[in-house]
Amino acid sequence: MLTLAVDFVRRFARNRAALVGFVLVIAVVGIALSAPWLFPRSPLRIVGRPEIWPFTTSRFPLGTDSLGRDIAAMIAYGARTTLLIGLCASLTATIIGISIGAIAAYFGGWVDELLMRLTELFQTIPNLIFVLTIVSILGQKIEYVTIAVGIVTWTPIARLTRAEFMSLRDREFVQACRSMGMGNLRIMFGEILPNALPPVIVLSSLVIAGAVLFESAVSFLGLGDPNVSSWGRLIGDGRTLIRSSWYICAVPGMAIMLTVLALNLVGDGLNDALNPKLRDR
Amino acid sequence: MAADRASEPTPILSIDKLEVSLFTRRGVLPAVDGLSLTVAAGETVAIVGESGCGKSLAALAVMRLLPEPPAKIVGGAVRFMGRDLASLSDREMQRVRGKDISMIFQDPMTSLNPVVTVGDQLIEAIRRHTHVSRKEAGDRAIELLRQVRIPDAERRLDDYPHQMSGGMSQRVMIAMAIACGPQLLIADEPTTALDVTVQAQILGLLKELQASSGMGLIIITHDLGVVAETADRVVVMYAGRKVEEARVGALFERPLHPYTRGLLGATPSAVRRRGGRLVEIAGSVPALSDLPMGCAFQNRCPDAFDRCRGGRPALASLLPQQSAACFAAEVELSRNVAAVGT
Repeated sequence: MLTLAVDFVRRFARNRAALVGFVLVIAVVGIALSAPWLFPRSPLRIVGRPEIWPFTTSRFPLGTDSLGRDIAAMIAYGARTTLLIGLCASLTATIIGISIGAIAAYFGGWVDELLMRLTELFQTIPNLIFVLTIVSILGQKIEYVTIAVGIVTWTPIARLTRAEFMSLRDREFVQACRSMGMGNLRIMFGEILPNALPPVIVLSSLVIAGAVLFESAVSFLGLGDPNVSSWGRLIGDGRTLIRSSWYICAVPGMAIMLTVLALNLVGDGLNDALNPKLRDR
Repeated sequence: MAADRASEPTPILSIDKLEVSLFTRRGVLPAVDGLSLTVAAGETVAIVGESGCGKSLAALAVMRLLPEPPAKIVGGAVRFMGRDLASLSDREMQRVRGKDISMIFQDPMTSLNPVVTVGDQLIEAIRRHTHVSRKEAGDRAIELLRQVRIPDAERRLDDYPHQMSGGMSQRVMIAMAIACGPQLLIADEPTTALDVTVQAQILGLLKELQASSGMGLIIITHDLGVVAETADRVVVMYAGRKVEEARVGALFERPLHPYTRGLLGATPSAVRRRGGRLVEIAGSVPALSDLPMGCAFQNRCPDAFDRCRGGRPALASLLPQQSAACFAAEVELSRNVAAVGT
């Protein structure tokens, strides 16, 4: 087990870009975790003069927005929201996707038909509009945004899981497990899933990046949770001043871009480390 | 005859006129057609035939593991220890699999889960049917690995399947199959994927385990060498039907069905006279979708005559403890009896 872990780290680290991405992700996570210590007061409070440009005063290193709120604090707290939504939405999507894909492939026949038509139905709905619809129906809370993003992003995971399960389902070891008296659930999730997991993990890590973008879009349009700070919301609030104080949009925009880029790089690294077909290259 | 039957041990498995059909686009094909078979405790029965003759499907039908669709049991009964397996619920059948009846497969390298260690797979097999702690199961796993002659058993528990050789993997499969002390073990081509030297070891191991536990053993093979080495009784199948059944000595000494003779003639043997050539069976197994009228073997049979084209020969007891489904053999034997009579 230990040698496997060492192997994994070695293969991951061979991809330099992935390493950079990983460092960036760790940095964002670090900022998110330490936000309450760095900025003990609520980031939504007005703390200074509005529209202070970044790098002009040491008190507000990233300046203040149109209301005089500390942008650095909003970025740090926004990182929490963004990462939390990204992670939870990806987890939701992965759980839905794996369950549907696994059941469809394992049982086949009409179950497969039904679930795949359902998947296609979800794929044809415009994602952002669907998210906005769910959020406006359920309410503007962080949990609902998470669920909404999870619901629109599970389809590729379901299709990938199904493809993996299809190729594994008829392997001899599955037959052997049946001949030992294992039940369907046990075979699906205890025996087949571990074999199918590596590519699914890669895709899930990319879904996190997608979820971050969705959350930003929702907040930008003003449908995010009004009680928490978020990067998308910061951009949305700043858009009226984009001609004069463009930094209000640019700073969180950079944060979003770097985070999504980093998550994608990590996903590529995971692909290199987990995909057996690329091993030993 | 009645006394003869009474002296035979009661079978643990009896298959009665089993029929398995494949439901394909080209129609319903009889893949196993009226197969009857019994296995007694401690007995080894070999099922022999070319690929596609229905021997593996028959085994999967016993386990109720047929790939459905397309295969489906359409007739007959499988009784295990007096219980009709078809009448069991899926959950009850799960308890039979692995505990009462176990199975090992052709390719050991693909029969083990590649991402789970050998030890965990063994422990899983043990704990599936017995309520023991992980620790106890671990000890039992080591014991099982020793039983199947895997050196350095403790260390091997943490190995992944790809770290083992084919023979080793098949030993692990056997260990998993016997983990819960089954009364019947079905080995589907257990040595086909292995080296010849390893083959002999694996067969020896199976016989040894059988001798100590008294389980019944069904060996499915196309290799008559394996049959000679292990079996007590042999069932020869052709195109889904049983064409001959005999004790192993009688079969090698006096095969009744021309197909059996063909198989024997096509098998290399160390004692064959020098210069003797291997004789092949002409043609190939007909597809199930276009079996000839009458006997399925007629177009490859050297002894076929008019009657073979008219109807299918039924399995008949032609000699004591030896039966065959062949008109030519029937005629031949009755001629011999007539000759003895005069």
